[in-house]
Amino acid sequence: MDSAAREALARRVLERSGADQTEVLVWSGNDELTRFTHNLVHQNVAASDVSVRVRAVVGKRSGVAATNVLDDADLDDAVQRALRIAQLAPEDPALSDLPRGGKTEAPEGAYSAETADATPHLRAQMCDEIFKTAEERGYWCAGFVTTTTGGVTIRNSSGACASFDGTDSGVNVKMNAGDSTGFAEGYDNDVVRLDARAIGITSAEKASASAHPIAVDPGPWTVILEPAAFGELVTYLVEHFSAQAFDEGSSFMSDGLGKLYLGENVTIQDDYAHPLNPSMPFDYEGQPTQRVTLVENGVGKNVVTDSYWAAKLGRENTGHALPAPNAYGPQARHVVVSPGRKPLAELVADTKKGLLVSRFWYIRTVDQKRAIVTGMTRDGTFLIEDGAITSGVRNMRFNQSIIEALRHCEFGNALHRTGGYSYSLVAPAAKIDGFTFSSGTEF
Amino acid sequence: MSFDAFAARALDTAASRGAGYADVRFENARSERIEVRNGVVATLSDASTCGYGIRALVDGAWGFAAASDTTSKGIDRTAARAVDIAKAGAAIARSRIGRVPPRAYTDSYATPVRRNPHEVPLGDRVSLLLAAEKALHVSPKITVGRAWIDLWRTHKIFYSSLGSRIEQTLQQSGSGIEAMALGEGEVQTRTFPGDIGLYKAGGWEVVEQAHLEENAPRIAEEAVALLSAPQCPSGVFDLILGGSQVSLQIHESCGHPAELDRVLGWEANFSGVSFLEISQLGKLKYGSDAVTIVIDNTLPEALATVGYDDEGTKSCQSDVIRNGMLAGYEMSNDTAQLIGRESNACVRAQNWEFVPMIRMCNLNLLPGDRPFENLFDDVKDGVYMESNRSWSIDDHRLNFQFGCEIAWEVKHGKRGRLLKNPTYAGMTPKFWNSCDAIADERSWVAWGTPNCGKGEPMQTGRTAQCASPARFRNVQVGVGYDG
Repeated sequence: MDSAAREALARRVLERSGADQTEVLVWSGNDELTRFTHNLVHQNVAASDVSVRVRAVVGKRSGVAATNVLDDADLDDAVQRALRIAQLAPEDPALSDLPRGGKTEAPEGAYSAETADATPHLRAQMCDEIFKTAEERGYWCAGFVTTTTGGVTIRNSSGACASFDGTDSGVNVKMNAGDSTGFAEGYDNDVVRLDARAIGITSAEKASASAHPIAVDPGPWTVILEPAAFGELVTYLVEHFSAQAFDEGSSFMSDGLGKLYLGENVTIQDDYAHPLNPSMPFDYEGQPTQRVTLVENGVGKNVVTDSYWAAKLGRENTGHALPAPNAYGPQARHVVVSPGRKPLAELVADTKKGLLVSRFWYIRTVDQKRAIVTGMTRDGTFLIEDGAITSGVRNMRFNQSIIEALRHCEFGNALHRTGGYSYSLVAPAAKIDGFTFSSGTEF
Repeated sequence: MSFDAFAARALDTAASRGAGYADVRFENARSERIEVRNGVVATLSDASTCGYGIRALVDGAWGFAAASDTTSKGIDRTAARAVDIAKAGAAIARSRIGRVPPRAYTDSYATPVRRNPHEVPLGDRVSLLLAAEKALHVSPKITVGRAWIDLWRTHKIFYSSLGSRIEQTLQQSGSGIEAMALGEGEVQTRTFPGDIGLYKAGGWEVVEQAHLEENAPRIAEEAVALLSAPQCPSGVFDLILGGSQVSLQIHESCGHPAELDRVLGWEANFSGVSFLEISQLGKLKYGSDAVTIVIDNTLPEALATVGYDDEGTKSCQSDVIRNGMLAGYEMSNDTAQLIGRESNACVRAQNWEFVPMIRMCNLNLLPGDRPFENLFDDVKDGVYMESNRSWSIDDHRLNFQFGCEIAWEVKHGKRGRLLKNPTYAGMTPKFWNSCDAIADERSWVAWGTPNCGKGEPMQTGRTAQCASPARFRNVQVGVGYDG
């Protein structure tokens, strides 16, 4: 469904509502993914849907209902359910008016017709290139190739109307080589720019280089985290940048903005228009999203807000609302960590003794306020001695405060987009001193 | 057009396009959530989603397509798309992976519900949560109070080209409370029941079983007390885990490694593989003799109970660990046939949009023979932990580290002072072999996990691990904190 059809659908719904204020959110999506293991496609899927979410506001009360059945009767039912819920809800004195929105423009590169038109046969060709890379080496691979298309329209009774159409694509490969594995990934809004064969080769080279991994002692290590590893670590800081966490005391910046929290070389922004990750230019209330500097030279500068938290804290609405209803508060959804000066190879060359980490796994928060997290290395961990990689290393568990890590770090000069099932961000490689590993494994 | 006619059209289209086997699953799911946060109703929503997913098997390759477009053209287009996707996979296949299920069923199933939750007035549901959340604010140090109810109803009909027609109406319900206390440079959180709430198959009676308001002051007082409690010490101790933490331990270190798709490498790039191998069936001493863990997808109150799984296989009971020995896996039709067995109905899809895959369902640790209080006997120096706060395990499901919200020192058989930030770590088989006592059925609870992630695209599964508290000897405690 294109933006004109979504906007017409949103207007149809808006016209049905008798609430004091109404917001209509229309999603259209087509998600396709070809997944493989043992050099064979085993899950090959596509799903398309259009859904409508209605937020009705009556005085200081609100309710939300959603449906994906788009006939008049079901749309009426959704509107009436939202209204009925709003009428029964207790008042929220802090509830603000729905925002009026504003002019927005999709960042360049957010949509690719080639990605939108990608077929299962194109994805199969890309998989086949990766399979051949594995077979040439006697390895087997697991991973996926995905292409997605999504559209969002938000229209409300305050006059906001915003639409966005975007595409995305990704390749993810874990190469398996006997007693070692290697990982590589690539994401781009335009599938044409993804080189599946190159990604497969990178993963194979990592698997080869980490063969016969040795055990090293746990304890504090100098680590160089490749962007996939560093990016996943950074995702556990994202909720600290929310106005809600800031106000409630669970953010590491809750002691106040304007204070030095991290190393002076650390700058973190939220930038929906970054060329490596161009995304929706407004939030799920239709408010234009601002580019926000969260940390500048180590100093906590800003938190992100939505209409509710902007009004509650007397701050500007930065346009970072999640879809209503939302108990999690506003969120930074497009984090970018600024790069440093040295290429990754130079970071390695400058390291007397350390570990190079390709990827982390199963990071979880151990201590919220101090941002202590635990997790495992995975799919390519290497020993660095005298500036050179000398061996693969068996995987290890770490326990580390991200705040402490970002007080003793140095960044690579190249930015990469990295992603997982719940995040997409832009990050460089990071070299961190005193990164604490607590135990090892046999693989 | 009726569901039967829709299904016939979808299956006919798939066959005419070249599918050797096809099935279609229609679903209409409704989710209601209420969440109160600091006296304000932060979430009050009622969402429904309706659609269908079609699986087509062509030359041993699967294709899956899902859509919400229930017009005749939409059905035709989606069935053809499933076949086209299967053909794309078949064109580069080195071997055949998909297999036709062995049998068909015509049947129906409905979750036993004592009180339909949707008939409880919305005002009453909100009032219950407002009262429970208010009761959390026992101190100014409680800066965040939360209380929530989730109600999920799913109606689905499964048809296959073998002739299956299975209609199911499922009801799942859950609720919980949480208090966050803010101190000098730290926060402490307590949740009840368990670490995520109490989630079961059933209706309003599940919400009533939680007794939220009654327990709110105690939970909040514990959160405040934790701020001034001593740090849990580091060292090797005997460890007693509360029932919900045992449930989490089963989930992460038994449920996931025993998924046969992981064992076979089908989840290798994302949620990982398993330390288990097919050849270890009947040979690996997974746990002590006290440990018997069974799949029981027929237990009426457990969260993952259904009549049939999403491949159309009838729910059943089977062993995963019997008296400590590895006895079986959670299986789908494809994977079971690869090891010469039949599926034990452990296949689920998050909803109509997602392809069915192996999921942990109800995986239950059978209760022991002594009251909970007796677990403390003959523990000279130990720690008792409750309610999960942090969980992490490697991609082979061996090296784990879990943290809990709260702990108590155990000295000479008695529960002593409160301890904060408790964590423990271990290796899966060694840990389960250190289990020497499990509390009896009086403290056995059907703990539900409503948020299990697996697969790509990632799917959220609803699982259950029925468990009672258990005791483990000589466990590494106090990992991850520097004091």
